[in-house]
Amino acid sequence: MEAATQPTPAGPQADAIVACRGLARRYGEGEAAVDALAGVDLDFPRGELTAIVGPSGSGKSTLMHLLAGLDKPTAGKAWIEGIEVTGLDDKGMTELRRRKLGFIFQFFNLVPVLSAEENIALPVRIAGDEIDPAWLAQLLEMVGLTDRRTHRPSELSGGQQQRVAIARALASRPAVVFADEPTGNLDSNSSAAVLDILRGAVDGFDQTVVMVTHDPRVASYANRVIVLADGSVAADQQVAGEDEVIRLMREL
Amino acid sequence: MLRLALRGLATHKLRGSLTALAILLGVAMVAGTLMLSDSVNRSFDDIFSEANAGIDVSVRAKQEIDAGFDLPESGVALPESLLPEVEAVDGVKQVSGSIGDATTIAILDENGERIGPPQGGPPHIATSVEPEPFTPYTYIEGGPPAADDQVSIDSFTAEEEGYELGQSVPITGAEGVRDYELVGISRFGSGVPLGGASLVEFTLPEAQRITAKQGEFDQIAAEADDGVSPDELRDRIKAALPPKLVEVRTGDEIATEDSQDIKDGFSFLTILLLVFAGITVFVGGFLIFNTFSITVAQRTREFGMLRTIGASSRQVLSAVIVEALAIGLLASIVGIGAGAGFVKVLLAIFGLLGFELPQSGLPLEPRTVVIALAVGMLSTLLSAAIPAVRATRVSPLEALREDGGKPAEAGSRRRSIIATVLSVVGIALILLGLFGGSDFGAALGTMGLGLVLLFFGIAALGGKAVAPFAAGIGRPIQRLRPVTGQLARENTLRNPARTATTSSALMIGAALVVFVLMLGSALTKSVGEALDKTFTGDVAIFNVDGFSPISARIAPGVGDLEGVQSASPLAAAGGHVEGTPEGEDQLIYGWDAATLTDAAELDWVDGSDATLADLGDDGAIVESKWAEDNDVAVGDTISVLTPSGETVGAEVKGSVRDRVSLLVESVALPIATLRDDFVTRQDALVLVSFDEGADFDTVRTEVDDLLATDFPQAEASSQQQLKDDNKEAIQGAVFLIYVLLTMAVILSLVGVVNTLVLTVLERKRELGMLRAIGASKRQVRQMVRYESVITAMIGAVIGTAIGIGIGLAAITALADEGLVLSIPFAGLIAVLILSALAGVVAGIWPARRASRVEVMEALQYE
Repeated sequence: MEAATQPTPAGPQADAIVACRGLARRYGEGEAAVDALAGVDLDFPRGELTAIVGPSGSGKSTLMHLLAGLDKPTAGKAWIEGIEVTGLDDKGMTELRRRKLGFIFQFFNLVPVLSAEENIALPVRIAGDEIDPAWLAQLLEMVGLTDRRTHRPSELSGGQQQRVAIARALASRPAVVFADEPTGNLDSNSSAAVLDILRGAVDGFDQTVVMVTHDPRVASYANRVIVLADGSVAADQQVAGEDEVIRLMREL
Repeated sequence: MLRLALRGLATHKLRGSLTALAILLGVAMVAGTLMLSDSVNRSFDDIFSEANAGIDVSVRAKQEIDAGFDLPESGVALPESLLPEVEAVDGVKQVSGSIGDATTIAILDENGERIGPPQGGPPHIATSVEPEPFTPYTYIEGGPPAADDQVSIDSFTAEEEGYELGQSVPITGAEGVRDYELVGISRFGSGVPLGGASLVEFTLPEAQRITAKQGEFDQIAAEADDGVSPDELRDRIKAALPPKLVEVRTGDEIATEDSQDIKDGFSFLTILLLVFAGITVFVGGFLIFNTFSITVAQRTREFGMLRTIGASSRQVLSAVIVEALAIGLLASIVGIGAGAGFVKVLLAIFGLLGFELPQSGLPLEPRTVVIALAVGMLSTLLSAAIPAVRATRVSPLEALREDGGKPAEAGSRRRSIIATVLSVVGIALILLGLFGGSDFGAALGTMGLGLVLLFFGIAALGGKAVAPFAAGIGRPIQRLRPVTGQLARENTLRNPARTATTSSALMIGAALVVFVLMLGSALTKSVGEALDKTFTGDVAIFNVDGFSPISARIAPGVGDLEGVQSASPLAAAGGHVEGTPEGEDQLIYGWDAATLTDAAELDWVDGSDATLADLGDDGAIVESKWAEDNDVAVGDTISVLTPSGETVGAEVKGSVRDRVSLLVESVALPIATLRDDFVTRQDALVLVSFDEGADFDTVRTEVDDLLATDFPQAEASSQQQLKDDNKEAIQGAVFLIYVLLTMAVILSLVGVVNTLVLTVLERKRELGMLRAIGASKRQVRQMVRYESVITAMIGAVIGTAIGIGIGLAAITALADEGLVLSIPFAGLIAVLILSALAGVVAGIWPARRASRVEVMEALQYE
């Protein structure tokens, strides 16, 4: 591990795209209180594909929700490109999502009434801009759907839909893309294609991606794997290959 | 299964409560109308049985022609000479002759204007003092008038006007204005307001004078000797009097009949209210149908699961039906209670118009409860039937499907065929009603049924029509807001059948509004054009209320004014031309042949103005269309039955076309014939023409002054004023219909709210995703609001088209009655704009709910 990635208690590292300090989330109160996340410090530098793994209830989803500003922490702070996510109101959050965030969901969540390319362009249009046609063409090319650009989601396979979702997440050139079990609903062939594309975005555009998964094979596409257990970071290291991930997870 | 259905109801309060609201509003209107009608009927019974309590036998003049909406009250009365004849009958203890006249007098305020609403309103009734036991009055203060310049007035009027004993009250009648001293404040009968009517009690001679019935009575009442029953006395009196002249009845019969007359008049209101209650129930049905359709679709997985664990399709069916019935029952019960509130609102509206409806509490008859429950539960059941059957078609497999199962949509062939057949049959029935030539009531019924079928047909076909309409309406919105506009438009197309049913509810309201608008506009234009063509004089004098007669002394008075060329009186009375269908009486006009053409231009079909000079005492002019329909030709001799039962013969000397019956509806006779033989003591109107070269304003002022001083119940109007008054009157009627349609329109908007709220629930995950990719709350609200607007506008546009269609058909059908087409562009545009605004309003709440959906919901599995 490089020195630069060591967390400092005061704030995020200067080069971190996403960071958090003392991030904690407690559900319920008193006796029944559960610490889903028990104070986590992390920094995510640009151009890395990070996988957050862990068993059910380990807090991996909670961590992602807090980093992405979808949920409010009970303690601690999170930043995206230096903006304190945990302090934003709804308006600020909307602005942040438009400029800095991309999402990929387990259930694709495309707008069924829009075509593939319209779905991809949607975040840009919602923000009040028009998408650059060259960029749109490049995205379609990248996800391999140029010939299916006018199809609606119902006319696409699950893998194709998720590829549209990836292109949509990248469309506004966000600082970071959060992916929540992006292959949870796909067969292995489609999964591989989707993960190759994500990997390609990281390598090709220096895109930062944070991905939550419980599948070691999926995690093996990442540069770095963070293993969560009982709401704390149990392991955090660069990985190379599926075996290493499995070993890492098994150690816990 | 029952438990499950009820549990389902308890957990889905939202969909339950909106459905319930739909049922509740309709039931409230039905129950309220029935309660009001019962209450009013009971009050009238009470009023008249008490007012007539002291009368054993009543003698009145026989009325051959029934007065009604279209025929004036007749002036036929009894000669005073009958009084001793009645008195002489064996068994008569005492008699009393009296006046009771609702068409002649007007109580005036200090400015000389008729009290009460400016456009007339309830009648002012002249009555005469009667001894005990005949008098219907008891006195709260003072007593009956003892001198000719004294009156007593009913307490409701006195309170309304702030009268105090001893003050002076100006009253005008057939002979001009007089001031009277108020000496009594009275109660009539059981002392509940008589529909807002004002009752004035004069001495007998004064009552006769002010109603131009010198030497006459409206009624002779008799009290029986002890031991003589009213029935017996009635038969004896009947035998003693000329049967052609009189109607002899007991006090009880009179009470029943008087009460029945008013109740019959009132039953029109009851029917009108029930028709609009029916429309509301009908619209509510669409809402219920839609709610159940949507929830059945959303619960596909639940039903599939039930089937996998062994539920039969019958059990699934009964689960949905039981849910519907439970909602129907609950909502109907609440609706009956809300009916009382509806009555309050109605009474408030009538009160504003100056009509005080008599009431004795709000009686809840068992019949009302039964009808209200039946309406509520049946409408719910019928509306839920199709969705319930659809629920049974859910296969167990669908429980396992990931996507909850989308309903198989819009265009099954069978559905299209049925819908087309319904629409075609509906249109055919509407046309049959319009052109079939059957009588008014049957024609309305046929048209109504046709409309219902057409609405069903279009609602079912609507799924196919949604796409082009959504495109047309959504395009401008999309230009304004490219992203949210496009999403809104596309969303309306997701489930076209659902959008179609939702907008159909609005379509019904819009169609009826536009239809009424079209008719009103055509009517205004027709009368306006007819006035332009027919009335060539300077002013016309009518009663301020627009329909009551005016003093016969106005015409000679105005005629004598300087600068007035002539004042031509027209009289009107009911009559029956021999050979025309039984029970169909005519409005007979009386013309002053010498002066009529000074102020009017006749559209001669056969004859010329010279024919008029030749009219003589026994000539008649007929309306050409009426004559043609009734096989009457120039040269024929016709016999006309008068209200008093006499027959007048006349030779038809000419025919004129008068499309809107301004001067002649069927037959016009010399005015002297009407005054003598039809006993018209007053004139219907006076047409005035000024001398050539006279200054209009100067002469007009003279006429106005004369009327204001002596005949304040009459007013002079120029042609333009007549047109404006007519327009106002039509607008008033149109407005009343709009008020009655309000409930249905509100309900159809609730339908839009309902569909959108359920849709928002359905699309939670998608909404969360939109927020995740950067949509602001505002954008989400916009999207839902535009969807609401597009849905509303689809209904408004189709409804407007239907309204224009049946409006055109109706105007064509009524062309013979003088209707000419006039497209109310401003009104139509207003309907569309208001619909769009209504769409915005209906979208507010669903939009707010949608914008509250959090991004988290897009991430969650369920």
